[in-house]
Amino acid sequence: MMPETPSYPSTDQLDREIATMLAGDARLSFRKIAADLGVTEGTVRGRVRRLQNAGLLKLMPIIDIARINEPGDNGQHMMFITVKCASGKLDQVRDGLLGLPQVSALYDANAALRLVAVCILPSLADGAAVTDKVLALDGIREVETEFVLQSIKYNAAIGPIATVNDLRGLDAESR
Amino acid sequence: MSEELPARRQRAATLDETDHRIIAALTRDGRAQSTAIGEELGLSGNVVANRIRAMDAAGAMRVVALADFRIHGYRLLARIRLRISGRPASDVAHELAARDDVLSVHITSGRYPVSCLHAFRNARDMIEAARDVSAGIAGVEDVDVELINSVYRYNPTVGPLEPR
Repeated sequence: MMPETPSYPSTDQLDREIATMLAGDARLSFRKIAADLGVTEGTVRGRVRRLQNAGLLKLMPIIDIARINEPGDNGQHMMFITVKCASGKLDQVRDGLLGLPQVSALYDANAALRLVAVCILPSLADGAAVTDKVLALDGIREVETEFVLQSIKYNAAIGPIATVNDLRGLDAESR
Repeated sequence: MSEELPARRQRAATLDETDHRIIAALTRDGRAQSTAIGEELGLSGNVVANRIRAMDAAGAMRVVALADFRIHGYRLLARIRLRISGRPASDVAHELAARDDVLSVHITSGRYPVSCLHAFRNARDMIEAARDVSAGIAGVEDVDVELINSVYRYNPTVGPLEPR
């Protein structure tokens, strides 16, 4: 079976410029962006809304991963969990992983037999606890965990922002 | 956390409960007005605005725009992991990080010490980049390329922030 072709609205240079201006400060005034780019404030507002509705742009707070070290604060360690699923069990394992609040990102790879979860953890012990929960899921063939020791380059602001649900929403809208 | 940090910066660097409530409000709407957040939390708009500014200035929290790789003209995304020999993993990681289409590079504890997220404009770009990595970077012993099909969650509540 062929994979579904992902659908998304086409984007242009103005979309890229607006996204780039908002990247470092999503609260920047639309008036300032409009003046800098030589368009109207309404155009900026409309473009941002369109990208947001498509799931291609999300404006949200991020807490610094290196700075947070108080007990009770959110996460400091990043761990990747790669799960090889038994044939036909991907959906079930995926739902199990989505049930874990420590999983901040989840995607599948390689012919939909592998799932990759990015976990944000307050401590190394939490890594062990999460791994145990993953190992207990039904339909798993192999689990590999990797702790991030050092991030050489990490720009959270550009990535696989639109999820399958965002893309499904688009399909529903265009029907 | 070093002790010589000024008190104001230190307070912003370690987020208190009020900060977290403001962050929760911003999670619902990153562009919510300070006065609206203040009304919701029983604080003045000024207090909210000052706290957001202090957290931002300290690099502790920032409201950012997360842009899908497709906005930037990419169509495919892969995780590429490398096994290295005879060379520090960080040297290889820095070489990869210099490429614009490499979105992130991490050094990990796993059997592939270098792990990166690589974006491509098309399938040909992907094939060429994979060949560049395996043949063009010294010390690369093995390459694991995984094309990402579907993304089920992407919610980076925590990330690296550069000081302004």
